[in-house]
Amino acid sequence: MKAPLQTKVGTCITVGIDVGASSVKTAILGFQNAELPNDPVSRMPASTVADQPTAVLEPKKMRDIVARDDSRAEILVLRTERIRRRDLRSVARQSYRAALSEAGIDKKDVAYVASTGEGDPVEFRLGHFYGMTTHARGAIFLMPEVRALIDVGALHARAMRIDSASRVLGYRMTSQCASGSGQFLESVARYLGVALEDVGPLSCEATDSETVSSICAVLAETDVINMVSRGILTRDILKGIHLSMAGRFVKLLRAAGAEGPVAVTGGLSRDVGLERAMQEIVAQEALPIEIRTHRQAIYAGAIGAALWGLFRHRKRLQRNAQNS
Amino acid sequence: MKVYVGIDLGSTTTKAVVLDEDGGVLGRGITNSRSNYEVACDVARTEAFVRSRFQRAGDAMRREPGLANLADRLLPELERNFRLEQHLEQLKALRECLHRAAEAPRLAPHKYELDKRLTDICEHMENVALKQWSGGAERKSDFFRDLASQHYADRAEGIAEPRGITFETLCGIFDAAILQVENATLDVSFSTHINRACKRLLRNGQKWPVWLAEPLGRAIEAARDEELDVVRSVGTGYGRQRLPFPRDDIRSEILCHGLGAHTMFPATATVLDIGGQDTKAIQVDEAGIVTSFQMNDRCAAGCGRYLGYIADEMNLGLHELGPLALKSRKQVKINSTCTVFAGAELRDRLSAGQKREDILDGLHRAIILRAMALLARSGGIDEEFTFTGGVARNPAAVKALRMLVEENYGKRTVNISTDSIYTGALGAALFATRGHTETQAESPRRGRRAS
Repeated sequence: MKAPLQTKVGTCITVGIDVGASSVKTAILGFQNAELPNDPVSRMPASTVADQPTAVLEPKKMRDIVARDDSRAEILVLRTERIRRRDLRSVARQSYRAALSEAGIDKKDVAYVASTGEGDPVEFRLGHFYGMTTHARGAIFLMPEVRALIDVGALHARAMRIDSASRVLGYRMTSQCASGSGQFLESVARYLGVALEDVGPLSCEATDSETVSSICAVLAETDVINMVSRGILTRDILKGIHLSMAGRFVKLLRAAGAEGPVAVTGGLSRDVGLERAMQEIVAQEALPIEIRTHRQAIYAGAIGAALWGLFRHRKRLQRNAQNS
Repeated sequence: MKVYVGIDLGSTTTKAVVLDEDGGVLGRGITNSRSNYEVACDVARTEAFVRSRFQRAGDAMRREPGLANLADRLLPELERNFRLEQHLEQLKALRECLHRAAEAPRLAPHKYELDKRLTDICEHMENVALKQWSGGAERKSDFFRDLASQHYADRAEGIAEPRGITFETLCGIFDAAILQVENATLDVSFSTHINRACKRLLRNGQKWPVWLAEPLGRAIEAARDEELDVVRSVGTGYGRQRLPFPRDDIRSEILCHGLGAHTMFPATATVLDIGGQDTKAIQVDEAGIVTSFQMNDRCAAGCGRYLGYIADEMNLGLHELGPLALKSRKQVKINSTCTVFAGAELRDRLSAGQKREDILDGLHRAIILRAMALLARSGGIDEEFTFTGGVARNPAAVKALRMLVEENYGKRTVNISTDSIYTGALGAALFATRGHTETQAESPRRGRRAS
């Protein structure tokens, strides 16, 4: 991974920075021979590719672009950095520098830096992409078979139905309340004295579950203290919370019209407890949905941004070539 | 001396009030420990007794011929040194817990480096504490957890490395350690620390004459050794069912707030209490008995935790919020209802270049607007109107409330006291004194019925 890739002929490097509500995810991608002149899609007339919103591109062309770029992409570095109330611009900058040095890449060898999520204010990015398109692209990159995804972040959850070219066909978002969000789960874990990475495994060990209706994310502390003092086991509390969250997410997926294999992306994709709970609910209700995730699904947004970054980069090259 | 104790086990803070035989307030105590109800109750009570003994020490000083004139100046100085001693004791416990937390197996590869860093941070925290408790210094909060986490993070951010021991690792260790410190019952009582505090006062403050030591020691000893005999304790508040009190000694917070407000301001007709997790609009009659009330739903928007969350987000102490918001010159309307989303909105607005004070002003207005809806449902605002609970200490909230009350109901007398946060605990303590006399009166009748 640490090979000096910038010296390889024809390798193009793009970076995706996904600024979430609680952490910044950075992905560095390298594309083999991405700028070679005999690239069929690169030679498409600029009018078909450039200056058009991605969603109105003809499905076939979109599929071609996605398939070609994705097959040439190699993940070089993935990195998360918690914001912890620091200034997000400086956290993004730090994370970017650290990721570059980890990859052994110089800043000037990066073709495109793309931001997504809340990353619009990041000053060193070239372009900003909307969170849904990046998550969709990243999900298809990691799990080409999925046709829907649920992105569960610190504040919001979004369910999307997508096609094989990662176009968003329909979506639903959670309401204006943080109950059952990632941040909510994080607070609960903190009150229970459980490390975030232990939440999922613990929940999977549960033999029973404490039914939890929606709890205010900020007031959860007292509810959790009450449950603990009633003698309910930590794992059962976690399981109950996972089931309550999973119920909402599955509902969201159905509302978005999801069917078939569904990817969980975003910060909570690492939580095996949530994944398991969603699978249980899907099985219980006998829905035509199959929940799955990928160990790098937390980076779906950042990877997607880097992939779209290449797309935008190529457009720039084309425009330059036409102008000259 | 016979005393009565009222405990208000709130969601954010736990308050205790100690009353003397005549119903006069002897001492008040407050803690923000919320890891464990018994511990929180203990800490608040200990605090209230510490304050009570300071009050008694003041009385004793005034009786000493040489000290009488100095008492008012000496007492706050003595208390400041006492607080420092308490803080150092807690820091000591924190240091142990930090090193213990660093022994987790996954940290083993960094053990040596980590210990070195933690020691460095702890020393830094001690130095900051010594500075902060020197005369005239400002503190962001009076609670150990707030101070410690801020000092810790300040130093940790400086010495963390992106590769190796990260800021994240250090924060994780702190989170684990502070929980243990809060759950441990540390000895922070008057008797344990007062002598050292007294020595520190006389050693550091060269301004005090040497002869002071003897009469001061006498006054302190009198206060320390005086027996404070708790006749009865009554508990109230969000967590009252968890208090280790008999059932008869638990009162609902609505009753306690009604009675407490009535006692502080006898002409009270309407009470608004904004606490940590509950906002209550209460109507009381001339005797302080509740006639109707409304409470908020289980949602942090519109109660004190909302402001607490915002303060955390902005890295400010809770009591810095109000004064800052008062500086606002421009009204900002906050769109989010949910506290967590309001926090995100705050960050967005800040990064869009809006002024902190203007956003804060909007946030204060938002919580009072929620309270106004509650008041309207409970039957409106009658003359006089008393505002209690922790948020009543916040000048920006008070300003927003006064404005909205006048807009909606016309001129009203708005009663606010600096001790409004203790209203519930005061009500509980008053019930303790009443209950005591009632049971005495009832006991012969009960005896007859039994025979």
